[in-house]
Amino acid sequence: MRIAFAGNPNSGKTTMYNALTGRSEKVGNWGGVTVGSKEYQLKKEYSGGQEVIAVDLPGAYSMSPFTPEEGITSEYVRTANPDAIVNIVDATNLSRSLFFTTQLLELGIPVVVALNKSDINDKEGTKIDVAKLSAKLNCPVFETISTEDKGLADVIKTAISLAGSTQKAPYTQADINLHDKAAVDAEDRKRYDFVNKIVADVEKRQVLSAETTKQDKIDTVLTNPIAGILIFALVMWFVFWVSQTWLGPLVADWLVGWIETFQGWVAGQLENSPAILSALIADGIVGGVGAVVGFLPLVMVMYFLIALLEDCGYMARVSAVMDPIFKRVGLSGKSVIPVVIGTGCGIPAIMACRTIRDERERRATSMLTTFIPCGAKIPVIALFAGAFFNGAGWVSTLSYFFGLVLIFLGALLIKGITGYKYRKSFFIMELPKYKAPSLKFAFRSMMERAKAYIIKAGTIILVCNTIVQIMQTFNWHFQVVEEGAEDTSILASIASPFAVLLIPLGFGVWQLAAAAITGFIAKENVVGTLAVVYGLTAFIDTEELALTGGANEVAMTMGLTSVTALAYLFFNLYTPPCFAAIGAMNSEMKSKGWLWGAIGLQLGTGYTVAFLVNQVGTLITEGHLAAGFVPGLIAEICMVIALVLIAKKVRAHFDEQYALHKKTANAAA
Amino acid sequence: MNMATVIAVIALVLIIFLAVRYIYKEKKKGVRCIGCPYAGTCQKHQSGNSCDKPAV
Repeated sequence: MRIAFAGNPNSGKTTMYNALTGRSEKVGNWGGVTVGSKEYQLKKEYSGGQEVIAVDLPGAYSMSPFTPEEGITSEYVRTANPDAIVNIVDATNLSRSLFFTTQLLELGIPVVVALNKSDINDKEGTKIDVAKLSAKLNCPVFETISTEDKGLADVIKTAISLAGSTQKAPYTQADINLHDKAAVDAEDRKRYDFVNKIVADVEKRQVLSAETTKQDKIDTVLTNPIAGILIFALVMWFVFWVSQTWLGPLVADWLVGWIETFQGWVAGQLENSPAILSALIADGIVGGVGAVVGFLPLVMVMYFLIALLEDCGYMARVSAVMDPIFKRVGLSGKSVIPVVIGTGCGIPAIMACRTIRDERERRATSMLTTFIPCGAKIPVIALFAGAFFNGAGWVSTLSYFFGLVLIFLGALLIKGITGYKYRKSFFIMELPKYKAPSLKFAFRSMMERAKAYIIKAGTIILVCNTIVQIMQTFNWHFQVVEEGAEDTSILASIASPFAVLLIPLGFGVWQLAAAAITGFIAKENVVGTLAVVYGLTAFIDTEELALTGGANEVAMTMGLTSVTALAYLFFNLYTPPCFAAIGAMNSEMKSKGWLWGAIGLQLGTGYTVAFLVNQVGTLITEGHLAAGFVPGLIAEICMVIALVLIAKKVRAHFDEQYALHKKTANAAA
Repeated sequence: MNMATVIAVIALVLIIFLAVRYIYKEKKKGVRCIGCPYAGTCQKHQSGNSCDKPAV
């Protein structure tokens, strides 16, 4: 048996689905979080032992899809014949929600209405006569609170009991010509009249929608084009300051102490064992994985704060602030959503691009969204901020906002290459009501991320570090590399050619090149590999590094100055993301040309940013250009030539595709 | 070979084996990014089926 969960965006479908199935799909206090259908078995306590599959569908305002994800919902309920539909209705916005409800009721499939968020109605003094509403809709109606599991059992029990029966519609659309827009509009208005009449009969509100509330007043400030951006910058700075300068490192120092003690103990136990074994286990596995795990508290604090921001409704306001800027540079207003999601992980961010209707905008967004540093890049930022900039919070804030600037510049570049002209596009997003953020939700979100982080560290990072350690320990004849001859190792010989390319960027050594390469498997690997190749687990102890003067100790070991460290950090942040994210880009773009274009653009961006930071930074701090300026400049010129050639090719193809007749000369011939 | 070495070798092999097996199993499930929450798995797998077999 299948039960579909359908309703308006941000009505709480996925929260209910998670509560009923035990899954932990992404939820958020804004519309458009779910972009594809998901299905899973209901928990036995709700299904009564039967095998019942719950299908979570993306939010939709009507059965006539306006966006691709609405199309998924309308197609599913029309063609997949679920045994019952649970229609989740936002009880705080009944008139808007019932339009879709009345359409669902026409399908003949039994519908159970869940009046969700009824707790907010209680607070606002809005009363809904449930029995009367049920009678008017010809279907069972229950008040529910998904976050507290209230009323869910009744909804499911009733849906199961009604499965297979036929639903009687309270309102039936007239038999009109669906190609006639005027007729469809007129019919929609009739349906709205019907819905409004029901709402007037069953609902009593203390706060009317037309009144200006406190929330509206706050919104005028938070969504103001200038004040909104300044507030957003301040909020993000605070998030990074707490997570990476204050609370995060406080816990991290304690954790790192334990990891170091454990590493020392392991090394002590293996004192009489072969050196390779000690290196593999103590340095490769415990040291490398420990270096990554050491940053876990920073990542956890950041996710906790971002979850609070999402849950209170603030991030939806950020979308509204960024929307006009995104449109101006040739992206969709909806491009904001992937960018915000991208602070967590690039893959769901790229997947969120499918809500963008226009193909070019969708591809451009999935190409650019990973410029926003994801959670996996946080350890890299924290490592360099801690080691070279005394743990300064501005490094993270700068990385984040510089990522945004790169998105805008990248969008302008794509716009120029594709010859795109400004097109008016619409971004409709309902601003959710502000609410006190749930600590439980934020804690859960943080723990999920922490679990994921540990799993990644214990699998991908562990295997990679082991391979790196083996490659560093042996040469191509599989003999252990002697001390002082590290440059003959397998790792050094593979990474050295790449290191040459990085000389203009200020970090042309094989160790740093190797760390950047392993970062393509998972970005946390940059930290793990650095810890392995330099044998510096204490590296991540920001407190200790601060006491020794920050950059000095690390600079001596790594041969980096503060300028080249910043260049290396930016190189890792803005070059292509991990392979998994590139795979997601491939799926969403559905074009090899665009995919390779994306990889090329990201490589070029990372290289250019690092080149400029190194050369300009060295010029300012030391009064001369850094080594490798001329080769770097030649590389940059080559990139510009490549861009011009691509733009020419794309535009020529564009002309071929859309020209109505051949050029005049040809036509005359 | 002393006892510590024997234990270390066994632990090393076991850890690597378990990590590789986990990665293999997750990839078979259709997980794109090991450990990333919300990164998406194969749609059929979510309803408890193998990604290669038709959904129930």
